[in-house]
Amino acid sequence: MLTTIKPKKKTLILYLIIPVLMFVFTVFVPLVTALVYSFFEWKGGPVKTFNGLANYKQLIQDTTFWQSFGHNIYLVIACIIGQIGIAFILVLMVNAKSTKLKGIHRTFGFFPSTIAAVCIGLIWNMIYHNKYGLINWFLKAIGRKDLCQVWLNNSKIVMLCVTIPLIWQFIGYYMVIILSAISSIDSEIFESAQIDGANGVQTAWYITLPLIKNTMLVCITLCVAGNMKAFDNIYVMTKGGPGTASMVMAMYGYQVSFSQSNMGYGSCISVAIFVLSLLVIGSSQGLIKYLTREKEA
Amino acid sequence: MNMNAPKTHKVRKGVAAVVMNVILIIFSLSCIFPIVWMAYSSLKEKRVFNADIMGLPKNPTLINYIKILSNKDYHLGESMLNSVRTTGLSIILIILFSFIVGYILARVHFKLNRVLYVMFLMGMLIPIHSLLVPIYVVFQRCGINNRWFTLLLPYVSFGLPMGIFLVEGYVKTIPVSLEEAAAIDGSNFTHTLWTIILPICRPILTTVAIIQVFSCWNEFSFALVLIKDVSLQTVPLALTQFKGQFASDYPKQMAAMLITMAPVVVLYFAFSKEIIKGMVSGAVKG
Repeated sequence: MLTTIKPKKKTLILYLIIPVLMFVFTVFVPLVTALVYSFFEWKGGPVKTFNGLANYKQLIQDTTFWQSFGHNIYLVIACIIGQIGIAFILVLMVNAKSTKLKGIHRTFGFFPSTIAAVCIGLIWNMIYHNKYGLINWFLKAIGRKDLCQVWLNNSKIVMLCVTIPLIWQFIGYYMVIILSAISSIDSEIFESAQIDGANGVQTAWYITLPLIKNTMLVCITLCVAGNMKAFDNIYVMTKGGPGTASMVMAMYGYQVSFSQSNMGYGSCISVAIFVLSLLVIGSSQGLIKYLTREKEA
Repeated sequence: MNMNAPKTHKVRKGVAAVVMNVILIIFSLSCIFPIVWMAYSSLKEKRVFNADIMGLPKNPTLINYIKILSNKDYHLGESMLNSVRTTGLSIILIILFSFIVGYILARVHFKLNRVLYVMFLMGMLIPIHSLLVPIYVVFQRCGINNRWFTLLLPYVSFGLPMGIFLVEGYVKTIPVSLEEAAAIDGSNFTHTLWTIILPICRPILTTVAIIQVFSCWNEFSFALVLIKDVSLQTVPLALTQFKGQFASDYPKQMAAMLITMAPVVVLYFAFSKEIIKGMVSGAVKG
Protein backbone atom coordinates (compact mmCIF):
# COMPACT_ATOMS: atom_id res chain seq x y z
CA MET A 1 0.00 0.00 0.00
CA LEU A 2 1.12 3.53 -0.68
CA THR A 3 1.78 5.67 2.33
CA THR A 4 3.69 8.64 1.00
CA ILE A 5 1.30 9.74 -1.71
CA LYS A 6 -2.36 9.46 -1.10
CA PRO A 7 -4.67 10.65 -3.84
CA LYS A 8 -7.40 13.05 -2.81
CA LYS A 9 -10.80 11.50 -2.26
CA LYS A 10 -12.15 13.40 -5.23
CA THR A 11 -9.47 12.05 -7.57
CA LEU A 12 -10.13 8.54 -6.36
CA ILE A 13 -13.87 8.82 -6.95
CA LEU A 14 -13.33 10.32 -10.39
CA TYR A 15 -11.12 7.40 -11.37
CA LEU A 16 -13.37 4.67 -10.00
CA ILE A 17 -16.87 5.93 -10.62
CA ILE A 18 -17.32 4.91 -14.27
CA PRO A 19 -15.95 1.35 -14.14
CA VAL A 20 -17.68 0.58 -10.86
CA LEU A 21 -21.08 1.94 -11.93
CA MET A 22 -20.83 0.21 -15.28
CA PHE A 23 -19.99 -3.09 -13.65
CA VAL A 24 -22.78 -2.87 -11.11
CA PHE A 25 -25.25 -1.89 -13.82
CA THR A 26 -24.46 -4.78 -16.16
CA VAL A 27 -23.82 -7.53 -13.62
CA PHE A 28 -25.63 -6.92 -10.35
CA VAL A 29 -28.68 -4.97 -11.48
CA PRO A 30 -29.72 -7.74 -13.93
CA LEU A 31 -29.18 -10.38 -11.27
CA VAL A 32 -31.50 -8.64 -8.84
CA THR A 33 -34.00 -7.90 -11.60
CA ALA A 34 -34.08 -11.56 -12.58
CA LEU A 35 -34.69 -12.55 -9.01
CA VAL A 36 -37.59 -10.11 -8.73
CA TYR A 37 -39.24 -11.01 -12.03
CA SER A 38 -38.92 -14.71 -11.28
CA PHE A 39 -41.85 -14.23 -8.90
CA PHE A 40 -44.05 -12.71 -11.60
CA GLU A 41 -46.11 -13.99 -14.44
CA TRP A 42 -44.92 -11.84 -17.32
CA LYS A 43 -45.32 -12.57 -21.01
CA GLY A 44 -43.09 -9.71 -22.12
CA GLY A 45 -45.92 -7.19 -22.38
CA PRO A 46 -46.82 -4.38 -19.99
CA VAL A 47 -48.79 -6.69 -17.66
CA LYS A 48 -46.95 -8.31 -14.81
CA THR A 49 -48.78 -10.26 -12.13
CA PHE A 50 -47.19 -11.44 -8.94
CA ASN A 51 -47.62 -15.18 -8.63
CA GLY A 52 -45.34 -16.06 -5.75
CA LEU A 53 -43.52 -19.34 -6.12
CA ALA A 54 -45.60 -20.59 -9.05
CA ASN A 55 -42.69 -20.25 -11.50
CA TYR A 56 -40.41 -22.22 -9.22
CA LYS A 57 -43.04 -24.93 -8.76
CA GLN A 58 -43.33 -25.16 -12.52
CA LEU A 59 -39.56 -25.31 -12.81
CA ILE A 60 -39.22 -28.25 -10.44
CA GLN A 61 -41.71 -30.23 -12.53
CA ASP A 62 -40.30 -29.05 -15.85
CA THR A 63 -38.78 -32.21 -17.33
CA THR A 64 -37.29 -30.29 -20.27
CA PHE A 65 -35.31 -28.07 -17.92
CA TRP A 66 -33.94 -30.99 -15.94
CA GLN A 67 -33.21 -32.84 -19.13
CA SER A 68 -31.15 -29.87 -20.33
CA PHE A 69 -29.41 -29.68 -16.96
CA GLY A 70 -28.53 -33.34 -17.47
CA HIS A 71 -27.15 -32.50 -20.90
CA ASN A 72 -24.95 -29.81 -19.37
CA ILE A 73 -23.60 -32.38 -16.91
CA TYR A 74 -23.09 -34.81 -19.79
CA LEU A 75 -21.09 -32.12 -21.61
CA VAL A 76 -19.02 -31.41 -18.51
CA ILE A 77 -18.10 -35.04 -17.94
CA ALA A 78 -17.52 -35.80 -21.61
CA CYS A 79 -15.30 -32.73 -21.97
CA ILE A 80 -13.29 -33.38 -18.81
CA ILE A 81 -12.51 -36.87 -20.07
CA GLY A 82 -12.25 -35.92 -23.73
CA GLN A 83 -10.49 -32.57 -23.56
CA ILE A 84 -8.26 -32.82 -20.51
CA GLY A 85 -7.68 -36.58 -20.76
CA ILE A 86 -6.73 -36.53 -24.44
CA ALA A 87 -4.76 -33.32 -23.92
CA PHE A 88 -2.73 -34.95 -21.14
CA ILE A 89 -1.93 -37.99 -23.31
CA LEU A 90 -0.94 -35.74 -26.21
CA VAL A 91 1.27 -33.68 -23.91
CA LEU A 92 3.15 -36.81 -22.88
CA MET A 93 3.68 -37.58 -26.56
CA VAL A 94 4.79 -34.06 -27.38
CA ASN A 95 7.26 -34.15 -24.52
CA ALA A 96 8.84 -37.41 -25.65
CA LYS A 97 12.40 -36.96 -26.86
CA SER A 98 11.74 -38.52 -30.25
CA THR A 99 8.91 -36.17 -31.13
CA LYS A 100 9.49 -33.80 -34.01
CA LEU A 101 7.71 -30.55 -34.91
CA LYS A 102 6.79 -29.69 -31.32
CA GLY A 103 6.22 -26.03 -32.14
CA ILE A 104 3.87 -26.90 -35.02
CA HIS A 105 1.77 -29.16 -32.81
CA ARG A 106 1.40 -26.35 -30.31
CA THR A 107 0.50 -23.72 -32.89
CA PHE A 108 -1.89 -25.89 -34.91
CA GLY A 109 -3.41 -27.58 -31.87
CA PHE A 110 -4.22 -24.29 -30.17
CA PHE A 111 -5.66 -22.77 -33.32
CA PRO A 112 -9.29 -24.05 -33.12
CA SER A 113 -9.76 -22.53 -29.66
CA THR A 114 -9.25 -19.05 -31.11
CA ILE A 115 -12.08 -19.48 -33.62
CA ALA A 116 -15.60 -18.35 -32.77
CA ALA A 117 -17.85 -21.10 -31.46
CA VAL A 118 -20.33 -20.02 -34.15
CA CYS A 119 -17.79 -20.80 -36.88
CA ILE A 120 -16.92 -24.13 -35.28
CA GLY A 121 -20.61 -24.97 -35.18
CA LEU A 122 -21.09 -23.99 -38.84
CA ILE A 123 -18.04 -25.97 -39.91
CA TRP A 124 -19.28 -29.08 -38.14
CA ASN A 125 -22.72 -28.57 -39.60
CA MET A 126 -21.04 -29.02 -42.94
CA ILE A 127 -19.09 -32.03 -41.74
CA TYR A 128 -22.30 -33.69 -40.49
CA HIS A 129 -24.44 -32.73 -43.50
CA ASN A 130 -26.21 -35.71 -44.99
CA LYS A 131 -25.62 -34.83 -48.63
CA TYR A 132 -22.48 -32.72 -48.75
CA GLY A 133 -20.90 -33.64 -45.41
CA LEU A 134 -17.46 -35.07 -44.89
CA ILE A 135 -18.54 -37.96 -42.69
CA ASN A 136 -21.04 -39.36 -45.15
CA TRP A 137 -18.54 -38.73 -47.95
CA PHE A 138 -15.99 -40.79 -46.04
CA LEU A 139 -18.47 -43.59 -45.31
CA LYS A 140 -19.36 -43.78 -48.98
CA ALA A 141 -15.70 -43.76 -49.91
CA ILE A 142 -15.01 -46.82 -47.76
CA GLY A 143 -18.12 -48.52 -49.05
CA ARG A 144 -20.30 -48.29 -45.95
CA LYS A 145 -23.15 -46.32 -47.46
CA ASP A 146 -25.49 -48.14 -45.08
CA LEU A 147 -24.04 -46.18 -42.14
CA CYS A 148 -24.77 -42.79 -43.71
CA GLN A 149 -27.44 -40.80 -41.95
CA VAL A 150 -28.65 -37.31 -41.09
CA TRP A 151 -26.41 -37.14 -38.05
CA LEU A 152 -27.91 -34.17 -36.26
CA ASN A 153 -31.45 -35.47 -36.70
CA ASN A 154 -30.93 -38.66 -34.77
CA SER A 155 -32.03 -37.93 -31.24
CA LYS A 156 -30.13 -40.96 -29.92
CA ILE A 157 -26.70 -39.71 -30.96
CA VAL A 158 -27.23 -35.97 -31.29
CA MET A 159 -25.63 -35.20 -27.91
CA LEU A 160 -22.53 -37.11 -28.92
CA CYS A 161 -22.52 -35.26 -32.25
CA VAL A 162 -22.59 -31.83 -30.61
CA THR A 163 -20.00 -32.84 -28.01
CA ILE A 164 -17.35 -33.95 -30.48
CA PRO A 165 -16.80 -30.44 -31.94
CA LEU A 166 -16.58 -29.02 -28.41
CA ILE A 167 -13.98 -31.56 -27.40
CA TRP A 168 -12.05 -31.13 -30.62
CA GLN A 169 -12.01 -27.34 -30.32
CA PHE A 170 -10.36 -27.22 -26.90
CA ILE A 171 -7.97 -30.20 -26.78
CA GLY A 172 -5.13 -27.98 -27.97
CA TYR A 173 -6.02 -25.28 -25.46
CA TYR A 174 -5.65 -27.65 -22.50
CA MET A 175 -2.66 -29.26 -24.14
CA VAL A 176 -0.82 -25.93 -24.11
CA ILE A 177 -1.78 -25.17 -20.51
CA ILE A 178 -0.58 -28.59 -19.32
CA LEU A 179 2.59 -28.29 -21.43
CA SER A 180 3.54 -25.03 -19.79
CA ALA A 181 2.94 -26.53 -16.35
CA ILE A 182 5.15 -29.53 -17.09
CA SER A 183 7.92 -27.39 -18.54
CA SER A 184 8.23 -25.64 -15.19
CA ILE A 185 8.98 -28.95 -13.42
CA ASP A 186 12.65 -29.52 -12.68
CA SER A 187 13.96 -31.94 -15.33
CA GLU A 188 16.17 -33.66 -12.74
CA ILE A 189 13.06 -35.27 -11.29
CA PHE A 190 12.35 -37.02 -14.57
CA GLU A 191 15.96 -38.04 -14.97
CA SER A 192 16.13 -39.64 -11.55
CA ALA A 193 12.82 -41.40 -12.23
CA GLN A 194 14.31 -42.81 -15.40
CA ILE A 195 17.42 -43.99 -13.54
CA ASP A 196 15.19 -45.70 -11.00
CA GLY A 197 13.64 -47.58 -13.91
CA ALA A 198 10.21 -45.99 -14.07
CA ASN A 199 8.55 -46.43 -17.46
CA GLY A 200 6.63 -43.73 -19.30
CA VAL A 201 3.24 -44.60 -17.86
CA GLN A 202 4.56 -44.82 -14.32
CA THR A 203 6.36 -41.50 -14.63
CA ALA A 204 3.23 -39.85 -15.96
CA TRP A 205 0.93 -41.26 -13.30
CA TYR A 206 3.11 -41.12 -10.19
CA ILE A 207 5.36 -38.15 -10.88
CA THR A 208 3.99 -35.77 -13.52
CA LEU A 209 0.33 -35.85 -12.52
CA PRO A 210 0.83 -35.14 -8.79
CA LEU A 211 3.27 -32.35 -9.61
CA ILE A 212 0.85 -30.54 -11.91
CA LYS A 213 -2.17 -31.18 -9.68
CA ASN A 214 -2.96 -27.49 -9.33
CA THR A 215 -2.88 -26.89 -13.06
CA MET A 216 -5.16 -29.88 -13.61
CA LEU A 217 -7.54 -28.37 -11.07
CA VAL A 218 -7.55 -25.11 -13.00
CA CYS A 219 -8.22 -27.02 -16.22
CA ILE A 220 -11.13 -28.91 -14.69
CA THR A 221 -12.60 -25.69 -13.28
CA LEU A 222 -12.32 -24.01 -16.70
CA CYS A 223 -13.88 -27.06 -18.29
CA VAL A 224 -16.81 -27.20 -15.87
CA ALA A 225 -17.49 -23.46 -16.11
CA GLY A 226 -17.14 -23.51 -19.89
CA ASN A 227 -19.61 -26.33 -20.40
CA MET A 228 -22.23 -25.11 -17.97
CA LYS A 229 -22.59 -22.11 -20.30
CA ALA A 230 -22.69 -24.08 -23.56
CA PHE A 231 -24.88 -22.16 -25.98
CA ASP A 232 -23.26 -20.95 -29.20
CA ASN A 233 -22.47 -24.36 -30.70
CA ILE A 234 -25.87 -25.76 -29.79
CA TYR A 235 -27.68 -22.71 -31.18
CA VAL A 236 -25.90 -22.99 -34.51
CA MET A 237 -25.97 -26.76 -34.86
CA THR A 238 -29.31 -27.97 -33.52
CA LYS A 239 -31.11 -25.19 -31.58
CA GLY A 240 -31.63 -27.91 -28.96
CA GLY A 241 -33.32 -30.30 -31.35
CA PRO A 242 -34.49 -32.61 -32.64
CA GLY A 243 -37.26 -31.97 -30.13
CA THR A 244 -35.32 -31.33 -26.96
CA ALA A 245 -32.72 -34.05 -27.53
CA SER A 246 -29.76 -31.66 -27.37
CA MET A 247 -31.27 -28.89 -25.23
CA VAL A 248 -28.95 -27.22 -22.73
CA MET A 249 -29.92 -24.83 -19.95
CA ALA A 250 -28.87 -21.57 -21.61
CA MET A 251 -30.61 -22.60 -24.85
CA TYR A 252 -33.79 -23.47 -22.97
CA GLY A 253 -33.75 -20.18 -21.08
CA TYR A 254 -33.34 -18.38 -24.40
CA GLN A 255 -36.21 -20.25 -26.04
CA VAL A 256 -38.63 -19.75 -23.17
CA SER A 257 -37.80 -16.05 -22.93
CA PHE A 258 -37.63 -15.08 -26.58
CA SER A 259 -39.42 -17.68 -28.70
CA GLN A 260 -42.29 -18.14 -26.25
CA SER A 261 -41.71 -14.63 -24.79
CA ASN A 262 -42.39 -15.96 -21.34
CA MET A 263 -40.14 -13.49 -19.54
CA GLY A 264 -41.26 -14.30 -16.01
CA TYR A 265 -40.53 -17.96 -16.33
CA GLY A 266 -37.40 -17.14 -18.31
CA SER A 267 -36.14 -15.05 -15.38
CA CYS A 268 -36.88 -17.96 -13.08
CA ILE A 269 -34.82 -20.24 -15.33
CA SER A 270 -32.00 -17.67 -15.31
CA VAL A 271 -31.94 -17.73 -11.52
CA ALA A 272 -31.90 -21.53 -11.63
CA ILE A 273 -29.00 -21.52 -14.12
CA PHE A 274 -27.14 -19.15 -11.82
CA VAL A 275 -27.64 -21.30 -8.73
CA LEU A 276 -27.05 -24.65 -10.44
CA SER A 277 -23.88 -23.48 -12.23
CA LEU A 278 -22.41 -22.18 -8.99
CA LEU A 279 -23.38 -25.41 -7.23
CA VAL A 280 -21.83 -27.63 -9.89
CA ILE A 281 -18.63 -25.56 -10.10
CA GLY A 282 -18.32 -25.38 -6.33
CA SER A 283 -19.04 -29.03 -5.65
CA SER A 284 -16.74 -30.22 -8.43
CA GLN A 285 -13.91 -28.26 -6.85
CA GLY A 286 -14.74 -29.59 -3.43
CA LEU A 287 -14.85 -33.13 -4.78
CA ILE A 288 -11.47 -32.84 -6.46
CA LYS A 289 -9.86 -31.32 -3.40
CA TYR A 290 -11.32 -34.11 -1.28
CA LEU A 291 -10.14 -36.84 -3.63
CA THR A 292 -6.62 -35.51 -4.02
CA ARG A 293 -6.26 -34.99 -0.29
CA GLU A 294 -7.08 -38.63 0.37
CA LYS A 295 -4.43 -39.77 -2.05
CA GLU A 296 -1.75 -37.92 -0.16
CA ALA A 297 -2.67 -39.36 3.21
CA MET B 1 17.21 -61.37 -19.47
CA ASN B 2 18.62 -62.68 -22.70
CA MET B 3 21.08 -61.04 -25.02
CA ASN B 4 18.40 -59.77 -27.35
CA ALA B 5 16.65 -57.68 -24.73
CA PRO B 6 18.37 -54.35 -25.43
CA LYS B 7 17.81 -54.76 -29.15
CA THR B 8 14.08 -55.55 -28.97
CA HIS B 9 13.78 -52.74 -26.47
CA LYS B 10 15.31 -50.39 -28.96
CA VAL B 11 13.05 -51.57 -31.77
CA ARG B 12 10.02 -51.19 -29.56
CA LYS B 13 11.10 -47.71 -28.67
CA GLY B 14 11.54 -46.84 -32.33
CA VAL B 15 8.06 -48.11 -33.18
CA ALA B 16 6.60 -46.15 -30.27
CA ALA B 17 8.33 -42.99 -31.49
CA VAL B 18 6.92 -43.41 -34.99
CA VAL B 19 3.41 -44.13 -33.68
CA MET B 20 3.51 -41.09 -31.40
CA ASN B 21 4.72 -38.82 -34.17
CA VAL B 22 2.01 -40.08 -36.50
CA ILE B 23 -0.73 -39.59 -33.90
CA LEU B 24 0.44 -36.05 -33.19
CA ILE B 25 0.64 -35.17 -36.87
CA ILE B 26 -2.88 -36.50 -37.44
CA PHE B 27 -4.08 -34.43 -34.50
CA SER B 28 -2.40 -31.25 -35.75
CA LEU B 29 -3.72 -31.75 -39.27
CA SER B 30 -7.24 -32.33 -37.96
CA CYS B 31 -7.03 -28.95 -36.26
CA ILE B 32 -6.34 -27.02 -39.44
CA PHE B 33 -7.92 -29.34 -41.97
CA PRO B 34 -11.40 -27.77 -41.79
CA ILE B 35 -10.04 -24.34 -42.59
CA VAL B 36 -7.93 -25.66 -45.46
CA TRP B 37 -10.90 -27.56 -46.84
CA MET B 38 -13.00 -24.39 -46.60
CA ALA B 39 -10.29 -22.30 -48.22
CA TYR B 40 -10.06 -24.34 -51.41
CA SER B 41 -13.74 -25.27 -51.51
CA SER B 42 -14.73 -21.61 -51.38
CA LEU B 43 -13.00 -21.24 -54.75
CA LYS B 44 -15.44 -23.68 -56.35
CA GLU B 45 -18.84 -22.92 -57.77
CA LYS B 46 -21.77 -24.47 -55.96
CA ARG B 47 -22.44 -26.92 -58.79
CA VAL B 48 -18.83 -28.11 -58.80
CA PHE B 49 -18.72 -28.46 -55.03
CA ASN B 50 -21.92 -30.46 -54.87
CA ALA B 51 -20.58 -32.89 -57.44
CA ASP B 52 -17.34 -33.49 -55.57
CA ILE B 53 -16.98 -32.12 -52.05
CA MET B 54 -13.38 -33.14 -51.44
CA GLY B 55 -11.56 -32.55 -54.71
CA LEU B 56 -9.37 -29.53 -55.34
CA PRO B 57 -10.95 -26.89 -57.59
CA LYS B 58 -10.02 -27.40 -61.23
CA ASN B 59 -11.08 -23.90 -62.28
CA PRO B 60 -10.66 -21.81 -59.16
CA THR B 61 -12.94 -18.78 -59.13
CA LEU B 62 -13.45 -15.83 -56.81
CA ILE B 63 -17.10 -15.55 -57.82
CA ASN B 64 -18.36 -16.46 -54.32
CA TYR B 65 -16.30 -13.73 -52.70
CA ILE B 66 -17.34 -11.17 -55.28
CA LYS B 67 -21.01 -12.02 -54.91
CA ILE B 68 -20.92 -11.87 -51.12
CA LEU B 69 -18.99 -8.64 -50.87
CA SER B 70 -20.85 -6.81 -53.64
CA ASN B 71 -24.36 -7.62 -52.46
CA LYS B 72 -25.42 -5.06 -49.85
CA ASP B 73 -28.25 -7.30 -48.64
CA TYR B 74 -25.78 -9.61 -46.96
CA HIS B 75 -24.40 -6.83 -44.73
CA LEU B 76 -21.05 -8.57 -44.52
CA GLY B 77 -18.86 -5.48 -44.76
CA GLU B 78 -21.14 -3.65 -42.38
CA SER B 79 -21.00 -6.39 -39.78
CA MET B 80 -17.22 -6.55 -40.10
CA LEU B 81 -17.09 -2.82 -39.33
CA ASN B 82 -19.44 -3.30 -36.39
CA SER B 83 -17.27 -6.08 -35.01
CA VAL B 84 -14.08 -4.06 -35.46
CA ARG B 85 -15.63 -1.06 -33.71
CA THR B 86 -17.15 -3.05 -30.85
CA THR B 87 -14.01 -5.10 -30.30
CA GLY B 88 -11.69 -2.11 -30.56
CA LEU B 89 -13.62 0.10 -28.17
CA SER B 90 -14.16 -2.76 -25.73
CA ILE B 91 -10.44 -3.51 -25.62
CA ILE B 92 -9.53 0.14 -25.06
CA LEU B 93 -12.04 0.48 -22.23
CA ILE B 94 -11.11 -2.83 -20.64
CA ILE B 95 -7.41 -1.94 -20.64
CA LEU B 96 -8.05 1.56 -19.34
CA PHE B 97 -10.40 0.48 -16.54
CA SER B 98 -8.42 -2.64 -15.58
CA PHE B 99 -5.31 -0.54 -15.29
CA ILE B 100 -6.90 2.18 -13.16
CA VAL B 101 -8.95 -0.08 -10.90
CA GLY B 102 -6.23 -2.75 -10.65
CA TYR B 103 -3.64 -0.19 -9.62
CA ILE B 104 -5.86 1.53 -7.08
CA LEU B 105 -6.94 -1.77 -5.51
CA ALA B 106 -3.31 -2.85 -5.22
CA ARG B 107 -1.90 0.38 -3.83
CA VAL B 108 -4.34 2.83 -2.37
CA HIS B 109 -5.75 2.30 1.09
CA PHE B 110 -9.34 3.45 1.43
CA LYS B 111 -12.45 2.24 3.16
CA LEU B 112 -14.15 0.55 0.22
CA ASN B 113 -11.02 -1.09 -1.12
CA ARG B 114 -11.85 -4.62 0.07
CA VAL B 115 -15.53 -4.21 -0.82
CA LEU B 116 -14.67 -3.37 -4.42
CA TYR B 117 -12.11 -6.17 -4.50
CA VAL B 118 -14.68 -8.76 -3.45
CA MET B 119 -17.24 -7.29 -5.84
CA PHE B 120 -14.98 -7.73 -8.85
CA LEU B 121 -13.91 -11.14 -7.60
CA MET B 122 -17.56 -12.15 -7.57
CA GLY B 123 -17.74 -10.97 -11.16
CA MET B 124 -15.36 -13.77 -12.05
CA LEU B 125 -17.41 -16.40 -10.26
CA ILE B 126 -20.83 -15.38 -11.55
CA PRO B 127 -21.95 -17.63 -14.38
CA ILE B 128 -22.48 -14.85 -16.92
CA HIS B 129 -24.71 -16.89 -19.21
CA SER B 130 -27.37 -16.72 -16.51
CA LEU B 131 -27.41 -12.96 -17.23
CA LEU B 132 -28.45 -13.44 -20.86
CA VAL B 133 -32.16 -12.87 -20.29
CA PRO B 134 -31.88 -10.47 -17.32
CA ILE B 135 -29.52 -8.13 -19.17
CA TYR B 136 -31.96 -8.01 -22.07
CA VAL B 137 -34.77 -7.10 -19.66
CA VAL B 138 -32.79 -4.34 -17.94
CA PHE B 139 -31.44 -2.88 -21.18
CA GLN B 140 -34.91 -2.97 -22.73
CA ARG B 141 -36.23 -1.06 -19.74
CA CYS B 142 -33.54 1.60 -20.06
CA GLY B 143 -33.99 1.79 -23.83
CA ILE B 144 -30.37 0.96 -24.58
CA ASN B 145 -30.96 -2.26 -26.49
CA ASN B 146 -30.02 -2.38 -30.13
CA ARG B 147 -27.67 0.62 -30.22
CA TRP B 148 -24.14 0.84 -31.54
CA PHE B 149 -22.75 0.96 -28.00
CA THR B 150 -25.04 -1.66 -26.46
CA LEU B 151 -22.56 -4.53 -26.61
CA LEU B 152 -19.77 -2.48 -25.05
CA LEU B 153 -21.45 -2.71 -21.65
CA PRO B 154 -21.46 -6.50 -21.27
CA TYR B 155 -18.16 -7.01 -23.09
CA VAL B 156 -16.30 -4.49 -20.94
CA SER B 157 -17.99 -5.58 -17.72
CA PHE B 158 -17.28 -9.26 -18.30
CA GLY B 159 -13.69 -8.57 -19.32
CA LEU B 160 -12.96 -6.31 -16.36
CA PRO B 161 -12.61 -8.79 -13.46
CA MET B 162 -9.87 -10.86 -15.08
CA GLY B 163 -8.11 -7.70 -16.29
CA ILE B 164 -8.26 -6.12 -12.85
CA PHE B 165 -6.82 -9.17 -11.13
CA LEU B 166 -4.02 -9.57 -13.63
CA VAL B 167 -3.07 -5.89 -13.20
CA GLU B 168 -3.46 -6.02 -9.43
CA GLY B 169 -1.19 -9.04 -9.15
CA TYR B 170 1.33 -7.41 -11.45
CA VAL B 171 1.39 -4.06 -9.64
CA LYS B 172 2.11 -5.85 -6.36
CA THR B 173 5.40 -7.06 -7.84
CA ILE B 174 6.51 -3.45 -8.48
CA PRO B 175 8.47 -2.03 -5.50
CA VAL B 176 6.61 0.79 -3.74
CA SER B 177 9.88 2.71 -3.45
CA LEU B 178 9.48 3.61 -7.11
CA GLU B 179 6.37 5.65 -6.46
CA GLU B 180 7.82 7.06 -3.25
CA ALA B 181 10.84 8.33 -5.13
CA ALA B 182 8.53 9.91 -7.68
CA ALA B 183 6.54 11.55 -4.89
CA ILE B 184 9.71 13.05 -3.44
CA ASP B 185 10.44 14.47 -6.88
CA GLY B 186 7.07 16.19 -6.72
CA SER B 187 5.01 13.87 -8.90
CA ASN B 188 1.37 13.69 -7.87
CA PHE B 189 -0.88 10.63 -8.02
CA THR B 190 -2.19 11.18 -11.54
CA HIS B 191 1.22 12.00 -12.93
CA THR B 192 2.79 8.89 -11.36
CA LEU B 193 -0.05 6.71 -12.60
CA TRP B 194 0.24 7.66 -16.25
CA THR B 195 3.94 8.36 -16.71
CA ILE B 196 5.59 5.85 -14.38
CA ILE B 197 3.22 2.95 -13.72
CA LEU B 198 1.58 2.70 -17.14
CA PRO B 199 4.82 1.96 -19.05
CA ILE B 200 5.80 -0.68 -16.49
CA CYS B 201 2.43 -2.40 -16.83
CA ARG B 202 2.60 -2.67 -20.59
CA PRO B 203 3.32 -6.45 -20.67
CA ILE B 204 0.36 -7.37 -18.50
CA LEU B 205 -1.93 -4.99 -20.39
CA THR B 206 -0.87 -6.68 -23.63
CA THR B 207 -1.89 -10.02 -22.13
CA VAL B 208 -5.29 -8.59 -21.18
CA ALA B 209 -5.74 -7.19 -24.69
CA ILE B 210 -4.84 -10.50 -26.36
CA ILE B 211 -7.34 -12.47 -24.31
CA GLN B 212 -10.12 -9.96 -24.87
CA VAL B 213 -9.61 -9.50 -28.62
CA PHE B 214 -10.57 -13.10 -29.21
CA SER B 215 -13.42 -13.24 -26.73
CA CYS B 216 -14.99 -9.99 -28.01
CA TRP B 217 -14.59 -10.81 -31.69
CA ASN B 218 -16.06 -14.28 -31.18
CA GLU B 219 -18.81 -13.45 -28.70
CA PHE B 220 -22.22 -14.54 -29.89
CA SER B 221 -24.90 -15.07 -27.26
CA PHE B 222 -25.18 -11.49 -25.97
CA ALA B 223 -25.05 -10.08 -29.47
CA LEU B 224 -27.87 -12.42 -30.44
CA VAL B 225 -30.07 -11.26 -27.58
CA LEU B 226 -29.27 -7.54 -27.51
CA ILE B 227 -28.96 -6.66 -31.21
CA LYS B 228 -31.96 -6.92 -33.49
CA ASP B 229 -31.03 -4.44 -36.21
CA VAL B 230 -29.26 -6.06 -39.21
CA SER B 231 -27.14 -2.97 -39.71
CA LEU B 232 -25.79 -3.28 -36.15
CA GLN B 233 -25.07 -6.98 -36.07
CA THR B 234 -21.60 -8.32 -35.39
CA VAL B 235 -19.82 -10.97 -37.41
CA PRO B 236 -21.02 -14.10 -35.56
CA LEU B 237 -24.61 -12.89 -35.92
CA ALA B 238 -24.16 -12.22 -39.62
CA LEU B 239 -22.82 -15.73 -40.08
CA THR B 240 -25.90 -17.32 -38.54
CA GLN B 241 -28.00 -15.27 -40.95
CA PHE B 242 -25.92 -16.56 -43.81
CA LYS B 243 -26.60 -20.09 -42.71
CA GLY B 244 -30.29 -19.48 -43.27
CA GLN B 245 -29.84 -17.69 -46.59
CA PHE B 246 -27.37 -20.11 -48.15
CA ALA B 247 -28.48 -23.32 -46.50
CA SER B 248 -27.40 -25.38 -49.46
CA ASP B 249 -24.74 -23.12 -50.93
CA TYR B 250 -21.69 -24.26 -49.01
CA PRO B 251 -18.98 -22.52 -51.03
CA LYS B 252 -20.66 -19.17 -50.35
CA GLN B 253 -21.02 -19.92 -46.64
CA MET B 254 -17.38 -20.92 -46.56
CA ALA B 255 -16.27 -17.76 -48.32
CA ALA B 256 -18.23 -15.66 -45.83
CA MET B 257 -16.76 -17.50 -42.87
CA LEU B 258 -13.23 -17.17 -44.20
CA ILE B 259 -13.63 -13.44 -44.71
CA THR B 260 -14.83 -12.96 -41.14
CA MET B 261 -12.21 -15.28 -39.71
CA ALA B 262 -9.39 -13.68 -41.66
CA PRO B 263 -8.44 -10.99 -39.14
CA VAL B 264 -8.24 -13.45 -36.27
CA VAL B 265 -6.44 -16.11 -38.28
CA VAL B 266 -3.84 -13.66 -39.57
CA LEU B 267 -3.35 -12.24 -36.08
CA TYR B 268 -2.99 -15.72 -34.64
CA PHE B 269 -0.44 -17.06 -37.07
CA ALA B 270 1.57 -13.83 -36.99
CA PHE B 271 1.83 -13.73 -33.17
CA SER B 272 0.99 -17.29 -32.18
CA LYS B 273 3.75 -17.52 -29.57
CA GLU B 274 2.73 -14.35 -27.76
CA ILE B 275 -0.96 -15.16 -28.09
CA ILE B 276 -0.63 -18.67 -26.70
CA LYS B 277 1.49 -17.38 -23.84
CA GLY B 278 -0.94 -14.59 -23.05
CA MET B 279 -4.06 -16.74 -23.19
CA VAL B 280 -2.53 -19.45 -21.04
CA SER B 281 -1.18 -17.12 -18.36
CA GLY B 282 -4.53 -15.33 -18.28
CA ALA B 283 -6.43 -18.59 -17.92
CA VAL B 284 -4.20 -19.98 -15.19
CA LYS B 285 -3.88 -16.83 -13.10
CA GLY B 286 -7.46 -15.77 -13.68
